[in-house]
Amino acid sequence: MAFDDLNRRLGVFALAFAGFLVVFGIPNWVYSPSNIQKLILSPLFWPYVLAGLLALVGLGLLFVRAKPDPETEVHPSGRAGWRRLVSLAVIMVLTMLLLPRLGMVWTSMLAFVATAGMLRTRYPKAAIICAIIMPLVLYAFFAHVAGVAIPQGYYVRLP
Amino acid sequence: MSIYDSILLGLSLVANIEAFLSLFIGIIVGVIGGAIPGLSATMAVALALPFTFAMAPINGILLLLGVYKGGIFGGSIPAILIKTPGTPASSATILDGYPMAEKGEAGRALGMALWASCTADVVSNLALIIFAGWLASFALNFGPPEFFALILFSLTIIAGVSGDSLLRGALSAIAGLLLATVGLDLVYGTNRFTFGDPNLMGGLNFIAVLIGLFAMPEVIAMAWDPTGHLGKARSLGKAWVTFADYKRCFKSIIRGSLIGVFLGSIPGIGAAPSAFLSYSEARRTSKNKANFGKGEIEGVAAAEAGNNGVAGATLIPLLALGVPGDVITAIIIGAFMIHGLQPGPMMFVLNVDIIYGLFMGLIISSVLLFFVGSVAIRGFRFVADIPKRILMPAVLILCIYGVFAVNNNIFDVGVMFAMGWLGYAMLRARIPAAPFLIAFILGPLLEDNFRQSTLMSGGDFTIFLRGPITWFFWALTIVTCIAIVRGAGRARKAQKM
Repeated sequence: MAFDDLNRRLGVFALAFAGFLVVFGIPNWVYSPSNIQKLILSPLFWPYVLAGLLALVGLGLLFVRAKPDPETEVHPSGRAGWRRLVSLAVIMVLTMLLLPRLGMVWTSMLAFVATAGMLRTRYPKAAIICAIIMPLVLYAFFAHVAGVAIPQGYYVRLP
Repeated sequence: MSIYDSILLGLSLVANIEAFLSLFIGIIVGVIGGAIPGLSATMAVALALPFTFAMAPINGILLLLGVYKGGIFGGSIPAILIKTPGTPASSATILDGYPMAEKGEAGRALGMALWASCTADVVSNLALIIFAGWLASFALNFGPPEFFALILFSLTIIAGVSGDSLLRGALSAIAGLLLATVGLDLVYGTNRFTFGDPNLMGGLNFIAVLIGLFAMPEVIAMAWDPTGHLGKARSLGKAWVTFADYKRCFKSIIRGSLIGVFLGSIPGIGAAPSAFLSYSEARRTSKNKANFGKGEIEGVAAAEAGNNGVAGATLIPLLALGVPGDVITAIIIGAFMIHGLQPGPMMFVLNVDIIYGLFMGLIISSVLLFFVGSVAIRGFRFVADIPKRILMPAVLILCIYGVFAVNNNIFDVGVMFAMGWLGYAMLRARIPAAPFLIAFILGPLLEDNFRQSTLMSGGDFTIFLRGPITWFFWALTIVTCIAIVRGAGRARKAQKM
C-alpha cells in the first residue's frame, strides 16, 4: 500500500471516528451531572477536546504529504496467513471461555499446544513438554509463592 | 552531632553480614521478579514485605530497596529478549533493545542496560544524599497547575518516539488518551465509556494494556508469518558491550539519570515517563538519530538510565517529607511504619543513624546490582536461543498468568488480547505503539490536574500561568514544539532535495 494512501485512509478513519464520538459516542456513553454550569468543569469536556484533536490529526493525515517509509511492507502471507490469524483469534476466544471452567493450568496447556500446532513448530515433542511443564511451574509460583488465587476450574483441582 | 558522627552511626548499622545479605538477596529477588512479565517490581516488593517483619529495621528496609532496584533493572531482560517489558518502566527499552536482539546483539543490549542502570543508580543515590531536603521542598511547591504544565511538557516526548510520521504518532497518542478516559470520572464519579460493565469502572488495567500492546502483536505477527524470522540472527550474540560503547553513550546516560532524578523527586510521575523522556532527549541530540528505533545502543542506554535514575530519587520525598514518590515507595513506607519509624523531617533528627545507614546501603546496592545483573544476563540468555515457534506460545501463556496475577481478574486477560489485536493493527498500519502507551500513562494525570486546576479557579484559565514553575514548563513546551516543527520541516526539505 502506498504511504500517502495509507495516511489518507487513516485520516478518513480518524475523521469518521471523531465525528462518531461527537455525534453519538460522547452524548450517549459519557454521563455528566445535570447541575454543572460550565462545560469546562464537566466530565464531557475532556472527551470532546480529544475528539476535536482527533479530527485535527485526521485532517492533517488527509492533507499533509507523507514521506516514503524506507522499510518494506509486512511479509505477505496470503490466505494461509489470514487462516492462521482467524485460528489464533479462535484460540484466544476459547481461552477466555475455558479459563473459568477448566482452570488456568489446563486451559494454558491446551492454548500452548494449539498455538504451537498452528505455528507448525519443528519441535512438536519439545512443545508438548513445555506445554505441560510451563503452566504447572507458573501455577506453583503464582499460587504458592506469590499467593495469587489462580482459577482452578470445575473439574480437576491442583493442590 | 557532626556529619562524621552520623556516618559512623550509619556504618555501625550496615557494616555487618546481615545487612549485606539482605541487600544481596533483595537484589536477586528483584531481578528475578522484574524479569517475569506481569510480576513487576511493585509486586515483588509487596511479596517481600511480609518477610521483613521479623528483621531488624535497617535490614528489612535494605531488602525492600534491593528488590526495588533489582526489579527495575530485571524488567529490561524480557524487554530486550522477548519484547515483553517485565515492568512498565522498561517499556522504552524495547524500542531499541528488541531490534538489537533481532540483529543478534542481545548480549550487547543487556550489557549496556546493566551498565547504564548501575551508572544511573549511582547518580540517583548521590542525588538522594546531596539534594534530599532541597529537592523535596521544591516538589512541595507543585500544585495541580504546575503538574499539568509538567505533564503537558512530558507529552512532547511523543515526538521522539513517533518514528517517521509525527501525525501517526499524534494519532496513536490521542487514541491512548481516549482509552484512558474509560472508567469513572475522576471528579464526579460518573460513568464514561463503561457500557454498564463494572470491570470497566476502574479503567483499563495498565499492565494488560502494556503487555497487550507490546507482547501480543509479536505472537499475532508470528501467526501471520511463522517462517518470517528464519534466517534472521536472534541470539545473545558474541558481541558484548565495550568501554567504547559506554563512553559514546555516557552523555545520554548522565542526562537520562538527571531526568530520572528530577522526575523521581516529584511524587506521582513514575519511572516509565522518565525512561521515555530520556530516550526522546537522547534521540533528539544524538548523531545517530536515524538509527533510533532500529537497534541503537544509545537508545537502550538512555531508556535504562531514565528509569533507574528514578529509583533513588523517589526516596527523596519519602525520607524528607514522608510522601511516597510512587507505588513501590508507598509499600516501603509501610515497612518503615511497621518498624515504628515515621519518615519525614523528624527522622533526620531522631533516626539519623538509619538515614545514613540507608544512604550507605544504597551506594553498596549499585555495586551489588552490577554483579547480580551480570550473572542474571548469563542466566536468562537461554531465552534468546529458544526456537521462536515454541517461544511465542510460551510468551502467550506467560502473559496470561502475568496479567491475571495483577488483579486476579480474567477480564484483564481479555483486555490484553483485545489490545494485542489493536497493537497488531497499528503495526500493520505503521502507527507507533509507544506514543499510545505514554499518552495512556499520562492521560489520567493530565486530565486530573487540568480538572482540579479549573475547579480551583472556577474555570479561569489564568491559573495555568500562576507562577514561575508553570512559566518555566510552558516555555519549555513551546521551545520543544518549535524545535519539533523545525526539525520536521528540515527533514521534509532534505527529503525533497
